[in-house]
Amino acid sequence: MGLAYHTELYLFVFLPLVVLVYHFSSQKMRRAVLILAGYLFFWSFSRWMVLYLIAVSGLIYGAGRWMEHLKETGRARAKEFHSKERSAIKKQYKAKEKRVLMAGIIILLGILAYLKYCNFFIQNMNRIAMAAGKDFYLEPQKLLIPIGISFYTLEAIGYMADVYWGRIKAEHNWAKVALFLGFFPQIMEGPISSWKDTADALWECRPVQSQNLVKGIVRIAWGMFKKIVVADRLSVVVTAIFDSYTDYHGVMIIVAAIAYTLQLYMEFSGCMDIVIGSGNLFGVDLPENFRQPFFSGNASEFWRRWHITLGAWLKAYVFYPVSVSGLVKKWNHFARKHFGKYLTKMGIFAMTLFPVWMCNGLWHGAQWNYILYGMYYFVILLAGEAVSPVREKVLDRFHLDCKALYWRVPQILKTWVIIFTGEMFFRANGAAAGFHMFRSIFHGFEFYRLWDGTLLGLGLNAADLMAAGFGILVVAVADILKERKLLNWDKLQEMKFPVRWMLYYALIFAVIVLGAYGTGYQQVDLIYAGF
Amino acid sequence: MQDFKEKKRTVKKAAVLLVIFLILLLALSAFFKSMALNYPEFVQSRNRPWVNIQSERNDSIDVLVLGDSESYTTFSPMEIWQQDGISSFVCGQTGQEIEETYYMLKTALRTQKPKIVVFETNSMFQPQSVSEGIQKMIAQTANYYLPVFLLHSMWQNWVMGPEKQQVYYKGFVVRDIVEPYTGGDYMEKTDRKEEISPIVRFYMDRIVKMCKEEGCSVILYSAPSPHNYNYAKHNTLTEYAEQMGAAYVDFNLMTEELGIDWEKDSLDNGDHLNVLGAEKLSRYFGSYLKQNYELEDHRGEAEYQSFDDMVAQYQKARKNAAKKIEVILKYLREKK
Amino acid sequence: METLLEILNDIDDTVDWENETALIDDRILDSFGVISLISELEDQFEVEIDASEIVPENFNSADAMWKMIQRLQEN
Repeated sequence: MGLAYHTELYLFVFLPLVVLVYHFSSQKMRRAVLILAGYLFFWSFSRWMVLYLIAVSGLIYGAGRWMEHLKETGRARAKEFHSKERSAIKKQYKAKEKRVLMAGIIILLGILAYLKYCNFFIQNMNRIAMAAGKDFYLEPQKLLIPIGISFYTLEAIGYMADVYWGRIKAEHNWAKVALFLGFFPQIMEGPISSWKDTADALWECRPVQSQNLVKGIVRIAWGMFKKIVVADRLSVVVTAIFDSYTDYHGVMIIVAAIAYTLQLYMEFSGCMDIVIGSGNLFGVDLPENFRQPFFSGNASEFWRRWHITLGAWLKAYVFYPVSVSGLVKKWNHFARKHFGKYLTKMGIFAMTLFPVWMCNGLWHGAQWNYILYGMYYFVILLAGEAVSPVREKVLDRFHLDCKALYWRVPQILKTWVIIFTGEMFFRANGAAAGFHMFRSIFHGFEFYRLWDGTLLGLGLNAADLMAAGFGILVVAVADILKERKLLNWDKLQEMKFPVRWMLYYALIFAVIVLGAYGTGYQQVDLIYAGF
Repeated sequence: MQDFKEKKRTVKKAAVLLVIFLILLLALSAFFKSMALNYPEFVQSRNRPWVNIQSERNDSIDVLVLGDSESYTTFSPMEIWQQDGISSFVCGQTGQEIEETYYMLKTALRTQKPKIVVFETNSMFQPQSVSEGIQKMIAQTANYYLPVFLLHSMWQNWVMGPEKQQVYYKGFVVRDIVEPYTGGDYMEKTDRKEEISPIVRFYMDRIVKMCKEEGCSVILYSAPSPHNYNYAKHNTLTEYAEQMGAAYVDFNLMTEELGIDWEKDSLDNGDHLNVLGAEKLSRYFGSYLKQNYELEDHRGEAEYQSFDDMVAQYQKARKNAAKKIEVILKYLREKK
Repeated sequence: METLLEILNDIDDTVDWENETALIDDRILDSFGVISLISELEDQFEVEIDASEIVPENFNSADAMWKMIQRLQEN
């Protein structure tokens, strides 16, 4: 079970103890405290696999130093020559550097792929063999996956690529690298931060300040509110429908899709609130992972507001490198001569977006429904770009203002439909189940199921539904205020003292009274910890 | 100097805010507790024993029973009252964990001075890792000192109206179903011993220690349950009771003496007993208590009116249950 | 610089390219805008822009782009 962020053990024992020890240590010792806390946290889930995390830190530290060495010697040797040879030498050293980078990436991705995709591969091989009638069977392996591997692997690759590109200098202190990868609030579910985002702030190890303490505690309470008032209740409904999806059809499938999307949002963003709040206690501002995603006007905007750090990572380390690669450039030259501007552009979109969304799907895990989920967004984004000239023309022709509500609201609703459908496939027990559920929406819609008591037969009573509804309402109001820039975490601090503290107390007591914990409830595991 | 003053002010402010928070928490706890004691029908079924024991007249219970569902399906205070006039009360709950048992006892001892504390041993074999144990310790400590955490879901019943409650007869629940146990003998002799998780043992020790400090004798008992018990557990418990200076009664070795009929007396294929089985066990337990301990016969005393009042109701429920069990048995026999 | 502004106006002539300083941050140029711009720049100025250059600081204003191009031409 470990020290998951929503457990009493983390919130009331581990976190306060770390803060206390941190507070009473010298700056240098604080660094050690945070690193050790990270490894203890990791150990609570994955025991000795903590050595893997340490090995990854060592690997990227070494790769960084090596690339730096190559850069320096390359530069020094280039100085000895004249222009022509100089660029040749530069190229030669750049190639050497690239080999180091590639080796590092291949090792990290290789281990990730082996642990996460090995069984997927075996199962599909077996399936093919069975279909072909061959007598062939491989036993799936029992693999233990270290906690959070999908998250810190990306951070590690990002660090090496940044050094290679010269965006950052290779770090000379291995402990700083270890702290960057092993900061305990981030280990389990991200946010996936880049070196520039967090490394310096973490290393600074500011003393605990009362303002940060309050900020952090309130943020954690807000996350707990989302998690145990809303998400844990919705989880009951979602499990009931998705686990026996053949018993439901029509409007109930839509209910399930919406409930799951809301559950995932409340849970993941709530967990991020706990994570970011935990960071605040140590004076670190971790990058935000959500920005009011349900105000998105289209799918691509949604992905700039939902799991932001994953989208940003894929953009920086997959999308841009692919888009300036030789293949895309060649296509650009060739197609512009033969196919015209529009088709050239669409070709580039397809070539650059495909790897991004394939990676996005695969990152979530080796299951066909995750791959389907990635491809779903690939198709939707491509289609969105394909019709964009038409959209521009319509806007232009009828003098429509794309920022006005009459345009914006239908766009947002359309995006909701896209999001709900996507998350339904994401949650479904396999790709086939996803398609089955999608089809069954159109068989007997039965709108009356919403009020004939079917909803109450899913394991929640009316009071639970009311509590979840109330929680969703509160979060919706908070998101609207944030979207309209009327309120945010900083503005909250500037509010009048008594008002502010009344809000804080109200939040904490709402969690205590309305939370789905204790008699009659079970603690629900974090969803994204499984990725 | 400036800095120091600044620091002092922040610390002061933080302290004030924390104190306000604690006062609010205590106030809310007091509010929920008084609501629970005054309107027990709104309390969730599982928390009812917690409320009911606190509503019993002070210092009126001589025998206090704790444990998980094996306790409140086997130990019937009304049966013992009718036979021996001993005042007993069951604080057992579904799946009561050892940490819960500890704090339940602590809560009960605030208003009661029992002479004997009886504990059904089944929950001692629930495996608990250290992290689970700490987790539960935090939760139960919070529940004890700040009952708002225990009772917080009461608001649901205020909104929805009282939920359908099971009827407690001084903590005992009349179970009127039968599913015969057909597995045969299950107490095969062995020298093996079953493990007790360290955290569970730690709490068990604290429970026994608390009883001793309060001057109560401790009886451990194992309800007849082929599903839950075996000889290895018997060995462990015998040794443990000896170590702690507690009495131990293993009814799994006495099913013939009790006259347990596994066809009629089993609730769910050898996990729990139904009311017929409970009756047999309770009568035996009553005589055992009377023989081995000095307990007063309170029958007819004005202060124990509540026990006498409940007899008629209990008899009726028992009779109906017996009839229902008969019908089910007839059906099962015919099906064969 | 003239050529650069010409290219930019070619992409979209409603933007005040000379004075905007937050092209990326305000999403006037989105990621696809950036990559089509890059291929234009590479052709016109005979430079190679690789992924490491694609950071907001290099594309937020026409001025910044010009500086990047000059830097790359020197190499």
